[in-house]
Amino acid sequence: MSASQRTTRSAGLTISLWVALWMALAAGFTPIAFADELPARIDALIASVAKDSPLGTSSDDATFVRRVYLDLAGRIPSWQEATAFLDNKEANKRTQLIDTLLAGSEYPRRMQDLFHAMLMERRGDSPEWTKFLQTSFEANKPWDQLVREILDPDPNNEAIRGAAFFHTKRLEKVGQQETDYPGLTRDVGRLFLGMDLQCAQCHNHLFIESYKQVDFQGLYTVYQNTFIRNDLKFPAIGEKVLTKKADFSSVFDKVALTTGPRVPGGKEIEIPTFEKNEEYLVPPDKKTNFSGTPRFRPMQFLATELPISGNKAFANNIANRLWFVMMGRGLVNPLDQQHAANRPSHPELLDLLSQEIVAQKFDMKSMLRQLALTETYQRATLLPAGTEPPKPETYRIANEKRLSAEQLMTSVLVATGSRDKPREVEMEKFRAAFVKAFGNVPQDPEVEFSPSLKSSLFVLNDPLVLDCLVPQPGNLVERLLKTTDSGALADELYLSILTRKPTDEERAAVVEYLTKNAERRPAAVTNLSWALLASTEFCLNH
Amino acid sequence: MTHNPLCKPWEHRLSRRQWLGGAAGAAAGAFGLGDITSPAFAADLKKKYKQVLFIWLDGGISQLESWDPKPNTEFGGPFRTIPTSIPGVHFSELLPHTAKQMQHLAVVRSLCTQDDAHSSGIERIQRGDPKNRGVVYPYFSAAVTKLLGPNDSGLPPSVWIKPMSGGFIYKDAGFLGPQYGSLAFGDGKPPENLLRHSSVNDQDLLERSQLRTLADKRYSQTHRAGSTEANSFVYDMGLELMKRQDLFDASKFSPRDVERYGTHDLGRHLLLARRMLEAGVTFVKVNSYGWDSHGDNFNGSLSLVRKFDQPFAAIIEDLAATGMLDNVLVIAMSEFGRTPRVNGHLGRDHWPEAWSLVMAGCGVKRGVVVGSTNDNGTYVNSEPYDIGHMFHTWFNALGINSQKTEYNNNGQPLPIAHEGCHPVKELLA
Repeated sequence: MSASQRTTRSAGLTISLWVALWMALAAGFTPIAFADELPARIDALIASVAKDSPLGTSSDDATFVRRVYLDLAGRIPSWQEATAFLDNKEANKRTQLIDTLLAGSEYPRRMQDLFHAMLMERRGDSPEWTKFLQTSFEANKPWDQLVREILDPDPNNEAIRGAAFFHTKRLEKVGQQETDYPGLTRDVGRLFLGMDLQCAQCHNHLFIESYKQVDFQGLYTVYQNTFIRNDLKFPAIGEKVLTKKADFSSVFDKVALTTGPRVPGGKEIEIPTFEKNEEYLVPPDKKTNFSGTPRFRPMQFLATELPISGNKAFANNIANRLWFVMMGRGLVNPLDQQHAANRPSHPELLDLLSQEIVAQKFDMKSMLRQLALTETYQRATLLPAGTEPPKPETYRIANEKRLSAEQLMTSVLVATGSRDKPREVEMEKFRAAFVKAFGNVPQDPEVEFSPSLKSSLFVLNDPLVLDCLVPQPGNLVERLLKTTDSGALADELYLSILTRKPTDEERAAVVEYLTKNAERRPAAVTNLSWALLASTEFCLNH
Repeated sequence: MTHNPLCKPWEHRLSRRQWLGGAAGAAAGAFGLGDITSPAFAADLKKKYKQVLFIWLDGGISQLESWDPKPNTEFGGPFRTIPTSIPGVHFSELLPHTAKQMQHLAVVRSLCTQDDAHSSGIERIQRGDPKNRGVVYPYFSAAVTKLLGPNDSGLPPSVWIKPMSGGFIYKDAGFLGPQYGSLAFGDGKPPENLLRHSSVNDQDLLERSQLRTLADKRYSQTHRAGSTEANSFVYDMGLELMKRQDLFDASKFSPRDVERYGTHDLGRHLLLARRMLEAGVTFVKVNSYGWDSHGDNFNGSLSLVRKFDQPFAAIIEDLAATGMLDNVLVIAMSEFGRTPRVNGHLGRDHWPEAWSLVMAGCGVKRGVVVGSTNDNGTYVNSEPYDIGHMFHTWFNALGINSQKTEYNNNGQPLPIAHEGCHPVKELLA
């Protein structure tokens, strides 16, 4: 189904919304910053909240090149790439690198991995879903369109039909548990509106005044009407005919209430009534096991009304999440606790970003570029000497960011010079092993650095990791073993794994260790390499 | 590497005080006690490490063929009773070894719980069946490791010894978060990647650890402390567990112990559990399966109860002999009991209305029987106790005030046990 068809079919539903949007625009959003001014305005807002507290220094080139490769290409730079950047004398080389990486072939894959982990939270994967994300990020698909395709997946469009996996995976029955419709409802609120409505399922939220039970129930009405289609071989979701509003009552006062489908904070939609046999646009077909397409589809209603520029929670959510991706902490933190009692650390800044992403028609690449250009992004993570560490929400120094399993995997391959080693099939095995070792457990958002016994045993003993340190023509350990000068060896070791030169002290420690272990140099070189791979510095984007 | 400049991993292991103080930072804070509210609670805990052995007889042991026999009655079944080491207390004749340990035990015969289905009952019982507040409560294992906090054994706080597969079982932790899940040893076997790789010798392993620690120490001089603390914590635990591979080496058990505990699954697993407790693991859970005797209950019990009796009596005897029982709370139970009425297949069905469990050690009174059932065992005729009462009792036995301590779930205060229940005083020493 094309976008225009969808608009025609649901025209009645959306007119009121477009009017509301037009009015909002006419009533005067503050003038949008020119794109080039945005980084400066962001930095000014950070500085104004910091007031007299000093801001940290800018990161050095080595830290910057590592950080921006990780964020925009999903891996550390190779030692050659790092050297090329460090040797580059041009004044605007940082901007050049940002633009090169955003235009590069690894950027879509990085986004695919990032949004897979963010949206599926390690529940599992499907080739159809992968294809949807891949084609979406290769085309730099705007966020509103991407969400629209998820909220109302089109089974007739092969490139994007896998979007249904977002729903179908969550509707799978696990053991004897009931289908988790409330969980799906909750995730739509959390991931697309930044609102965790879980506690509003049974009553108005006790502590969060703006989360009403009807917000949960209005979404729930949509999802408890859905099912996994079993007439198709790919993930697809169907809807039953919805004829009446959902009944609910607060567990506190037991007063009976009803609601039809409703976007949280929005208007309830009337459920249309149809003549008998008119309720289907495409009637069910028992022969093909096709369940029918109802004329009134609440999922279509949500897809039209939720991911739109006039929905402030929707715009704020993606602005906040992209900020989190680059800056390591949401302006609203936790990311899914967007409400009046949990104020953003920088309210004006969130407004600005939110307006900007609307003005840029939800172009995420453009927003990431603006964020990467800020001084805030480019600051060092170094603690100021002699004072209390700045609070993370001040952004006075840059925040350390957890590396995802995918970033770690690719970075280990780059660091050890093994990038070309795994073939395509082995690559999937490699990826699965890293996700198992470093990914959070299913349904747990990957926000903070959270190493586990599982991950440490993996790095300590798993052959997949240790094999990367076996000397092979051209790989790191083999190159290091050819280097007879221990000081030069230290330089290459640190540049390859940590993307920086060693300090004098670190170089001396390497030389001393190698001198003491001259008779077992291969083992010593391997041990040095392993230790840096296992270090906190390697496991973080700092 | 004599007098090497590198520091030793144990020099960096977080002190217990740091963890208890919740000073470990955001990344590692999950391990701290920062989000439990109870004044002066952390200080009390430092006195002595408490531990728990939790034996789960999955499917439902028959109380009539174990702790609450009713011989010569309508539903009593074919077995006789035997006296125990406490005068006046009788067990089923299927528990001859355990009967000799009754002076250490406390038996509850007045359980009356809410669920007669395995699928939901197991969870409800092990989560303490709290009031529904829209959150998933932790299993007892996760609750205990959270509330007691880490000890200094360097080992995982919660392990689960079970037949079949192992792995990292996190769902039991509920809202406490996956870090309070259990490390499960499938059939008593070690976790994945525990064995040192053949290409790495002991010297390499030591040096790798020292070099990593040195790198982390340098990094933490200029960066926030939480990340390196968390990273070091998991490497130290991994290395500690690698050093303790003897824990999994069955050949290290004395032939006498192997004979006393038995060579069947539950025997081997309880012997391994003893070793885990001795090594300092806070919570050891041991599962035994196959207790759902809807058919042929009596032959089934003859085999199963005996398989339980021998190693259970052995571990109680051993823990008492070494004095460990003073600080180890032992619990053996199922999700419910079995119907007094015998069905057409000579089986007993699910019966949450009137059943029994046994506990021992730590702050539990020794040699007592609490509660009773009517003459044919169909209903409780003393004050009935729900699982919530047991949770209160166990927490108090561990030195945790169950009526004052609360979880803090992102600002939502949550009682650690059902607030409609209370500790059972007759069970507490």
